[in-house]
Amino acid sequence: MATVMEFEDHGKQEIKYTTCYMCACRCGIKVTVENNQVRFIQGNRNHPINQGVLCAKGSAGIMKQQSPAKLRNPLRRKPGTERGAGEFEEISWDEALDILTQRLQHIRATDPNKLAYFTGRDQMQALTGLWAQQFGTLNWSAHGGFCSVNMATAGLYMLGHAFWEFGDPDWDRTKYFMLWGVAEDHSSNPMKIGLEKLKRNGGKFVGINPARTGYQAIADEWVPIRPGTDGMLALSMVHVLLQNEQFDWEFLLRYTNAPFLVVQTPGQKGDGLIYRDEAGHPLVWDLEKEAFVNGMEPGVKAALFGDFQSPDGRPLRTIMSILADRYLDERFSPANAARLTGVPAETIERLALEMAHVAFKESIEVEVEWTDWAGRKHDRFIGRPVSMHAMRGISAHSNGMQAARAIHLLQVLLGTIDCPGGFRAKAPYPKPVPPPVKPAQHSAPNTPLKSSPLGFPTAPEDLVIDEEGRPKRIDKAYSWEAPIANHGLMHMVITNAVNKDPYGIDTLIFFMANMSWNSTMNTANVQEMLKAKDDDGEYKIPFLVVIDAYHSEMVNFGDLILPDTTYLERHDCISLLDRPISEPDAICDSIRHPILKPDRNVRPWQDVMVELATRLKFPAFTRENGEPRFKDYKDFIVNFERAPGIGFLAGWRGKDGKSHLRGEPNPEQWERYIENQGFFQYHLPKSAAFYRFANREYLDLAQKIGFNPSADPITIELYSETFQRFRLAGLGLYDGPQPKDPVDRERLATYFDPLPDWYEPLEQQRIDKKEYPFFAVNQRPMMMYHSWDSQNAWLRQIIAQNYLYMNRKRGEQMGIKDKSWVWVESHNGKIRVQVKLIEGCQEDTVWTWNAIGKQSGAWGLKPDAAEATRGFLMNHLISELLPAKRGERRLTNSDPITGQAAWYDLMVKITPAAPGEEGVWPTFETIKPLPGMAPSPDQLRYHTHEPVNLRS
Amino acid sequence: MRLGLVIDLDTCVGCHACAVACKEWNTSGTTGALTDYQPYGAKPSGVWFNRIRHYEIGDYPHNKTVNFPMSCMHCENAECVTVCPTGASYKRAEDGIVLVDQSKCMGCNYCSWACPYGARELDRASGTMKKCTLCIDRIYDMEIPEEERQPACVLTCPAHARMFGDFDDPESPVSRAVRERGGYQLMPELNYNPSNHYLPPRVHAPIPTEGMRKKAAAKVKAWVNRVVER
Amino acid sequence: MHPALAVIFLTLFSGGGFGLMALVAIVNDFHIDGGLNPLQTLIAVLIALVFVTIGMLSSTAHLANPKNAWRAFTRWRTSWLAREGIFAVLFYPFAGLYLLWVYFTQAPADVVGLVLANLAGLIGLITIFCQGMIYAVLRTIRQWNTPLVPANFYFMGLGIGATILAAERIVLGAPATAFVALAVALLVAAAVLKGIYYFWIARPGGPSIRTATGFNRLTVRILDQGHTFGTFLTEEFGHTLPTAQARNIKVLMYGIAFVVPIAALALALDTGSALAALIAAVAVVIGIGIERWLFFVEAQHVVNLYHGRPSC
Ligand SMILES: Nc1nc2c(c(=O)[nH]1)N[C@H]1C(S)=C(S)[C@@H](COP(=O)(O)OP(=O)(O)OC[C@H]3O[C@@H](n4cnc5c(=O)[nH]c(N)nc54)[C@H](O)[C@@H]3O)O[C@H]1N2
Ligand SMILES: Nc1nc2c(c(=O)[nH]1)N[C@H]1C(S)=C(S)[C@@H](COP(=O)(O)OP(=O)(O)OC[C@H]3O[C@@H](n4cnc5c(=O)[nH]c(N)nc54)[C@H](O)[C@@H]3O)O[C@H]1N2
Ligand code: SF4
Ligand code: SF4
Ligand code: SF4
Ligand code: SF4
Ligand code: SF4
Ligand SMILES: [Mo]
Repeated sequence: MATVMEFEDHGKQEIKYTTCYMCACRCGIKVTVENNQVRFIQGNRNHPINQGVLCAKGSAGIMKQQSPAKLRNPLRRKPGTERGAGEFEEISWDEALDILTQRLQHIRATDPNKLAYFTGRDQMQALTGLWAQQFGTLNWSAHGGFCSVNMATAGLYMLGHAFWEFGDPDWDRTKYFMLWGVAEDHSSNPMKIGLEKLKRNGGKFVGINPARTGYQAIADEWVPIRPGTDGMLALSMVHVLLQNEQFDWEFLLRYTNAPFLVVQTPGQKGDGLIYRDEAGHPLVWDLEKEAFVNGMEPGVKAALFGDFQSPDGRPLRTIMSILADRYLDERFSPANAARLTGVPAETIERLALEMAHVAFKESIEVEVEWTDWAGRKHDRFIGRPVSMHAMRGISAHSNGMQAARAIHLLQVLLGTIDCPGGFRAKAPYPKPVPPPVKPAQHSAPNTPLKSSPLGFPTAPEDLVIDEEGRPKRIDKAYSWEAPIANHGLMHMVITNAVNKDPYGIDTLIFFMANMSWNSTMNTANVQEMLKAKDDDGEYKIPFLVVIDAYHSEMVNFGDLILPDTTYLERHDCISLLDRPISEPDAICDSIRHPILKPDRNVRPWQDVMVELATRLKFPAFTRENGEPRFKDYKDFIVNFERAPGIGFLAGWRGKDGKSHLRGEPNPEQWERYIENQGFFQYHLPKSAAFYRFANREYLDLAQKIGFNPSADPITIELYSETFQRFRLAGLGLYDGPQPKDPVDRERLATYFDPLPDWYEPLEQQRIDKKEYPFFAVNQRPMMMYHSWDSQNAWLRQIIAQNYLYMNRKRGEQMGIKDKSWVWVESHNGKIRVQVKLIEGCQEDTVWTWNAIGKQSGAWGLKPDAAEATRGFLMNHLISELLPAKRGERRLTNSDPITGQAAWYDLMVKITPAAPGEEGVWPTFETIKPLPGMAPSPDQLRYHTHEPVNLRS
Repeated sequence: MRLGLVIDLDTCVGCHACAVACKEWNTSGTTGALTDYQPYGAKPSGVWFNRIRHYEIGDYPHNKTVNFPMSCMHCENAECVTVCPTGASYKRAEDGIVLVDQSKCMGCNYCSWACPYGARELDRASGTMKKCTLCIDRIYDMEIPEEERQPACVLTCPAHARMFGDFDDPESPVSRAVRERGGYQLMPELNYNPSNHYLPPRVHAPIPTEGMRKKAAAKVKAWVNRVVER
Repeated sequence: MHPALAVIFLTLFSGGGFGLMALVAIVNDFHIDGGLNPLQTLIAVLIALVFVTIGMLSSTAHLANPKNAWRAFTRWRTSWLAREGIFAVLFYPFAGLYLLWVYFTQAPADVVGLVLANLAGLIGLITIFCQGMIYAVLRTIRQWNTPLVPANFYFMGLGIGATILAAERIVLGAPATAFVALAVALLVAAAVLKGIYYFWIARPGGPSIRTATGFNRLTVRILDQGHTFGTFLTEEFGHTLPTAQARNIKVLMYGIAFVVPIAALALALDTGSALAALIAAVAVVIGIGIERWLFFVEAQHVVNLYHGRPSC
């Protein structure tokens, strides 16, 4: 172009850097602001997470800010109206906080557990957890219990890092990538960036998934699996690897507990526990010394296989021998696995051997000197370039924890953990297996808990139960029903509170969770429960506080609504104490800061929490003299130290802002972050970037900066002694707490297998599969985030209605026509939905996009919005309880180990709807608009300046 | 110059990021607001320059899903321009970009009839035809940092499935990609000679597995230990 | 294609009007059945002008931004639509002058009159051609991309014109045998040509969803079009007509457009029934209106391939 055109007046624009929050991937964004309006949101090229790219949701942030559903004022349920009727009145912040403070003061002074505080898709669990701990209630958790706890727990009890957000494939180097049950996940942009790299580098991408869309669309090989059978598939591949002796001897011997010896005294106390010396060190058989030696001593030459006998006569076996015996069994043969998984035996065998080929024949080396845990120098890192990622397709099953362990086992056998090309940890991981934090067990009036309500039990003694063995937490986490429920069981809170089982509560706070709609199982029933009253006319859940930014379905049920700001209007920090944004090569954290001024009477919930903490005089928030320690959230972030020199933000610490990772508070820390485009990144030296579980340099650093309490090496636990302790408790062979209820015993004995195992998902064990022949699962659409994007004028154009997707041939055989309406029925209820027949669907599976269906009237949508009239939720079919069994108490529909909600265990039957039966069913009452809400516009012409027309 | 896009069907995951980035950039771009109708109503709809469609190729279980983004192809033989009676539609001689002069368009839709690729959408509010501008207001805006002088859709694509460049330059990344990956044009039989090209999905060579078969110890007990220093 | 009434009316009425004008010129050139007397001429030209005007007005109703309509004449070098606009406008002075000339001179067939009439008629015919070419040049729509389209437009336009002219003669009690013969001949030709057209569009061919996507060897099906509801593209191009329904409508169309007018004209000629003559004229307009509706709904724009149609 000859002449320089002026297309827009950049002088009127300002560029600001912050962090996206259209989902929890937390990409860096560069926002062009013009007249307090967003001109453009783009990816920040320098940001470690997204490297300049941005997903559809991120770009649609503009429209989120325009949402007509934004809350405008604190609201109180109109006195005299019923909960859920949607009659609200606006009140001032002072009034709102007075009401709440009064209520909370009383609870805290009497029985702090009467407050239950549960949070949804937030990224500030470090703060909410601290708040709950200071309040003194055990009843706190975030949404992990229905989301990802299977993945986190599997990894943290085995590797020290995990799928979910604690690890990543080494995208730059991997040559073979296997994706298990993932449609999108929170590594949204990184995954896409990575897949392209992999393919450009000529790597192979295998997608294991009953549905073929999104990522699986570009998979070089798609493996349509029957839902809930991945554990079997992985273990069958383990079978193949063992059979062909394709495993990494060195890796297993050096870094895992494979050579540890296990006591083999079935039926006796102590059976299955690791053989230890007096000091508690695990013992191995040294092949040269021909003696039992401390397995943690450097230089031992341990036997990987073998049967031995202890001096006191107990039979001993190496873990590897137990493991090999187990998985070489015919039960895990490809032929048997094929029957269960629907994946042909040849495919199972081939995939296993392909990975072995890439791991062992195409191994890579990164030439850099490093020092191992024992101080020995090495001149290179050996890389086995096979990597994996897994998420909800594994996680959301009641056998998901064991399935995730099975996948990790496969990775460990191939020697691909935290090595070049493999599955790498992200700081602050790896941590000791499991992280040495125990859940708080006791609460007392006006007293903070001794530790966080959440932690990592390693034995029945760590459970949060009373002397009778009854759960102490409202969600029954850390009880016999869900002993290692490390993220709580948010999906059980309403049901348990309403049933007063284990007890009734007074106040329930939901922050950022749509628990009356898409984030709950059994939606219609839950809505009834929220409205349920005792005989005395009091609500079973007496007081319900909802903190939301938008007019969600949940808001409709609140007694008190506190309106939050949007992500472009507030300070936030994405902390290493929380769910960090680190990359394998770098320790990272980041912030948000207000780039737009709110035009409503809203306050950031963080600020409000700090204020409440001060009003309630939490010790961490108030000085002895009662004065607040922190002015507000900003001030709190700068000055709060969890341990000396360690706060929420790791960058630019120290008075001069020059101490990274650890240092005194820096009053200008926020400013430094803002100057540095909103994020902090500390690049690990290459020598400290791999094999971190056994890397001296890294282990020392991790201790120094407070990631880990010690610099001891981290041993990968193929065999979990922790699990065995629970199993022994179930078998009545444990010197410590043991469950009384036979059903608990049986569950512990069956599911707490110290080795990864596969069992049929619990609900499916109780369902007549002839009656309900289809597996029913969900996928996240890439351009929609749960419930909160249907208010987005652009995103909802892409998808405003979901269908039930079904295998075309199968549908045709059943006489079901494309786009026809069908009834879908589970043991819990039925829905009427529209079907789409497609190729990309495993024959025994039906699936739909998650959270598209909306309650009429919510989200600023017109009552006849397609989301309410044609879109649907699968949630109506899913029960939070397992089908009842005679003589047994009702059990949660969750993983029996972690309490992870088993959303995807659902089985359904499908029948064509009668002619004329059209539209979704059930439908719900239209939610009333809130006071002060303007009607949603009929046309939008969003722009921030007049266009410069280009003349022809 | 002949500017245009290359779309890599091997890596496009169908995420719609490019479509939304296009919408957000261009709603304040040179052709004015891209109107949305019933944005919160029963049947939301609106003006977009870039849409992603999804296809299934072949029958289960040998099916493949292909995500398929489409925007204006900036055709060499842009019939949309020749048929336009007002001269609102034009193709720039210097770089081949096809544009619509909003001040001239009378909204007759005729150009959209002539476009095989569905690249033109009428904005009912302005009464004018709108289409992909190849982000002319980014690629030539000297105040935008040089590395960002790219179409919004290209900048944003998380799967790097979109490339922008000059097809007249045989050494440009787009020309090279087309050459090396067998890039093709859509509906060549219509002879519009579109600038945009599509890269077909790669076919991965089989990974050898025969060498990996070993008869391991038939019994675990018989496994011979190796001496490895821990 | 979306059968927009505006476009249907445009081609239907202006085609009929131009056809009528051309026939007026021819009839007066050759004194067919004694030619048209001034009154008959005036009425016919007036009808032609009214028809053309209905067409033109409805065409501007089709514009989303009519204030720029005047620009439509600028690109006559490349655009058939521009050419059509120019000729359609050019038609007015000549047809109008002829009307005035006949009104004031009562000499529909003197040299000046005939020059004006022939110029108007010729411009009308050229406009019909341009109209046909607007559609015929579109490679994107197989059903239109054929010389049969302008040919059809000619015979249809002339058929309407001839029927109206014959009806007028009968209503006014003037000899009409040649007029009726001409109308019948044109209608039969139009019907035959349309039949050929229908056979032609029924044969398979053109781009398919495979060539559209480049996956030439396997079955291609749409999984999702990327938007839940309609877009400009689906609204403009998405219409289809089930084959059986199309067949029925075509039978109806043949009846109303051709059989009824021919029969009514024959009856009117025989009995002098003004009613029958009027029925013929109204039927031909309605019938060819249906034909024009079919012309649009049956047109399958290739963009539909991208929305999942296997072929167009
Ligand atoms: N765009 C977008 N991104 C999101 C979210 C969102 O709502 N939208 N939500 C965020 C949240 S909270 C989470 S938890 C993550 C979850 O992210 P994902 O883990 O991607 O969760 P889902 O979309 O549920 O995908 C589950 C996948 O597993 C498949 N699947 C189901 N059952 C099985 C099975 O038994 N075996 C196998 N192999 N596959 C199975 C399904 O077909 C589906 O493709 O995504 C996060 N990212
Ligand atoms: N059937 C089925 N159901 C599922 C799943 C599934 O796979 N299948 N997945 C489950 C999983 S993994 C998850 S994580 C949950 C998702 O569970 P949720 O965390 O409940 O996710 P959302 O539906 O997005 O609801 C979040 C709430 O936060 C509000 N919000 C948004 N932004 C802000 C803000 O800035 N401040 C405040 N205060 N509030 C805000 C929204 O308005 C909304 O009401 O869904 C679960 N439900
Ligand atoms: S993945 Fe998308 S929505 Fe999530 S943070 Fe990144 S840009 Fe935002
Ligand atoms: S942004 Fe990239 S991956 Fe996503 S749909 Fe567009 S081209 Fe495909
Ligand atoms: S794609 Fe369509 S609008 Fe774009 S240049 Fe080609 S014909 Fe014209
Ligand atoms: S709609 Fe506008 S750009 Fe298209 S042909 Fe008509 S006048 Fe030209
Ligand atoms: S080049 Fe620009 S206008 Fe064209 S599709 Fe991409 S973002 Fe949209
Ligand atoms: Mo989640």
